[in-house]
Amino acid sequence: MAPTRAIRPATTVAAALCTGALLATSACGGGSGSDSDTIVIGYSGPLSGGAAAYGKNIQSGLQLAIGDLNDAGVTVDGQEYRVQLQSLDDQYAPDAAATNAQRLAEQDDAAVVFIPHAGGIQAAQELNSSRTEFLLGAYSSDPKIVEQGNELTMMIPPSFESYAKPFVDKLTEDGQTRLGLLGTASEYGQEWTKLVSDEWNSRGGQVLTDNSIDYATVSDFAGPVSRTLAENPDVIFLGGPSQPTAVIIEEARRQGYEGSFLIMDQAKFEEMEKFTDPENLNDSIGVKPVRDYDDPGTDDLIDSYAEEVTKERPVTSEVALNYQAAAIVVTAMQVAGTIDDPTAIREALPDALGQVDDRFHVSGFPTEITDAGHLRNADLEAAYRTPEGEYEYLSIDQPDE
Amino acid sequence: MTLFIQQLFDGLALGGVYCLAAIGLTLIFGVLRIPNLAHGALYMLGAYVTYFFLVTVGVPYVAAIGLAAVVLALLGVLMERLVFHPLRNAPHTHHMIAAVGAMFFFQAVAQALWGADFRRMESPISGSVTILGAQISWQRIVIVGTAVVVLGLLTWFVKRSIHGQTIEAIEQDRTGSSLVGISPSRVSMLTFGLAAALATVAAGLVAPINLLSPTMGDALSLKVFAIIILGGLGSLPGAVVGGFALALAEVMTSTYVSAAAGEGIAFVVIVLVLAIRPTGLFARAVQR
Repeated sequence: MAPTRAIRPATTVAAALCTGALLATSACGGGSGSDSDTIVIGYSGPLSGGAAAYGKNIQSGLQLAIGDLNDAGVTVDGQEYRVQLQSLDDQYAPDAAATNAQRLAEQDDAAVVFIPHAGGIQAAQELNSSRTEFLLGAYSSDPKIVEQGNELTMMIPPSFESYAKPFVDKLTEDGQTRLGLLGTASEYGQEWTKLVSDEWNSRGGQVLTDNSIDYATVSDFAGPVSRTLAENPDVIFLGGPSQPTAVIIEEARRQGYEGSFLIMDQAKFEEMEKFTDPENLNDSIGVKPVRDYDDPGTDDLIDSYAEEVTKERPVTSEVALNYQAAAIVVTAMQVAGTIDDPTAIREALPDALGQVDDRFHVSGFPTEITDAGHLRNADLEAAYRTPEGEYEYLSIDQPDE
Repeated sequence: MTLFIQQLFDGLALGGVYCLAAIGLTLIFGVLRIPNLAHGALYMLGAYVTYFFLVTVGVPYVAAIGLAAVVLALLGVLMERLVFHPLRNAPHTHHMIAAVGAMFFFQAVAQALWGADFRRMESPISGSVTILGAQISWQRIVIVGTAVVVLGLLTWFVKRSIHGQTIEAIEQDRTGSSLVGISPSRVSMLTFGLAAALATVAAGLVAPINLLSPTMGDALSLKVFAIIILGGLGSLPGAVVGGFALALAEVMTSTYVSAAAGEGIAFVVIVLVLAIRPTGLFARAVQR
C-alpha cells in the first residue's frame, strides 16, 4: 500500500487553480466529456515510473469490477447506464494526483475518483469538498487520511495500525526478545518501522540497529542483510514491494538466518511465493492471501484476473479490495438514486454495503463504514506461515476510530 | 571480523558492477564530451535483453549475456547515429536533453515489452562458499572474476589493438587524429557500441542477485556519474579505481556508520571531489 509523501499545499493549490482556469475556458467551447448514459469512475495512479506495477494492479481491480457491473446491468433511478473507467497517470506525485482528480471530476463528470497513495489522497482532500465535489476512493492504509475529517473520503484498506500489535503478539510467543529492522526507507516504511519498534519496546524487548534501505535503489541486498544478522535478531521486520522483499528474505536464509520475519502489509505472501522458494517464508507473519478467503466471489475474481489481465501474477488484495470498492460505490449510486451527487453517494454507503451483489464479495468484504469513512471488515485476519509451511489465520482487533 | 570479510566481498562484487558500467560512461565522455544520461537506461535494457535470451529463448547464462551484449552494442551504435551524430555541431545542452529523452524512451519501451512489474532472473550459478567464516555466494565471486577479465581485455583492446588505439587518439586530440586519417565518426560509433556492451555485462551479472524493473537503471546512473567524477572524466583507470572505491566506501559506511549514510556517501564524494580536486583523481586534463 502507499507510502505517504509530504504535500506542498502552495504548489498543489497553484497547480489546481491553473488547471481549473484552463478547464473553465475550455469547457465554454467544448461539450462535457461523457455521454448522459455513462457513469464515469475516475482513477489517478502511477501508471508509469517506479510504482507503475502497483498502479496497474489497482487499475485492473477497478476495471474488472466495472466489466462485471456492466455485464449485470446498472440501473440508477430507472435509467440504464454503462460504467466507464477513466484513468490518468500521476507517477505517484501528490500534486499531479490532485490535478488529475480535479480534471476527472470537472471534465469527465466523475463523481468518484480513486487514488492509491496517501500523498495524492491528502492533496485531493484539499479540493474535493470545495468548488469541485467528488467522493475520494482512498486506497492507502495510512490512518491519517481519515483523521483529517474530510467528509467525502472512503478509505478502502484496513489501517496498518491494526497489524502491529497482533503481529508482535504472535512472534513473541516463544520469548523472542531481539528485533532486527530491515524495513524500506520510504516514509510509509518508516512509519511502520516506528510502530513496530514502539510495540516491541513496550513488551520490554530489545530493538536493534535500524538497517532500513531503499528497496528500489540498492543493487545488492547481501550487505544490509549481513549487517542485520550480525546482531543475532530473533525476529526481523521487513517489507516493501513483494518482489524485493522476497529476495531479501531469500538472502537472509542463505546467510543462515533461522528466525521469524514480521512482514509489513505492502508485501504479499502469494506474490513472494512466486519469487523465492516458499520454504524461505516459513515462520513469517503478514497479510492474508486473497486466494484463502472463502467469500462467494473469490474464485471467480481469481479466474477472471488470470483470463483478462495476466496469468503471471496472482490476485492480491490491491486488486481485490479495489474490485470490491468499485462495486460498493456504484451500488451506493443506485441506493442514492443519483450518479452525480457525491454527498448523497457518500451518505448512501452504509446502506449500499448490505446490497452489493455476492459476486463482489472477494476478500473480507466490508461489514461497516465508520463515520470518518473507513470501510471495515469485522473479521479481519492476519496470516502466519508456520515453520512447517502451513498458513494459520489469526483474527485482528481493529482500533476504534 | 566475519562481518568485515563479508562486507569486503560484497563491496568488491558491487565494485565490479560499478566499474563495468562506469567505464562505458567515461569512454563516451572522453570521445564525444557528452554526459550520457541515458547510460542507466542502456544498462536496464541490457538486463532485460539478457533476461529475454536466458528465460524466453533458453540459451545458457553466459551465452545470454554475450548475445545481449551484441544486441546492445548494435543499439548503442544506432543511438549514436540517430541521436547524437545529428547533434554533433549543436550546443552541449542539446546532447543532454536528447540523452534524457532517450532515457525516457527506453524506459517506456521496456515497460511496453516486459510490463511494469519486477522480474526475477535465475542464475545457474548457485550455492556459496565459506571464506574465513563469511558466506560468499558464487554469483558474487563470478561478478568479481568477470569484471577483472573484462577489464583486462578492455585494457588490451584500447592499448594494443588498432581500433582501440583510435579511441585513445580521438580522446587525446580530435583534430590531430582526423589529420592522420582516423574517422571520428567511426570511433564514436565504436565507443557507443562498446559502452553499451559493457553496461550489459554489468547488468547481466547483477540481475540474478537483484530484480529487473524498467527503472532499475536510475539509481545506478547517478552512482556511475559520481564514480567518473571521482576518477576524472574520461579516464579509464579513474573509472576502475573510482568504481571499487565508491562501492567499498558505500558498503563500509553502511556497516560501520549507518544505512542512510551509506546511501548518501556517493554524493558526499562528489561534493568533496568537486571542492578539493575538480579534475578527479586521475586528471587527464584533456580540456578542449
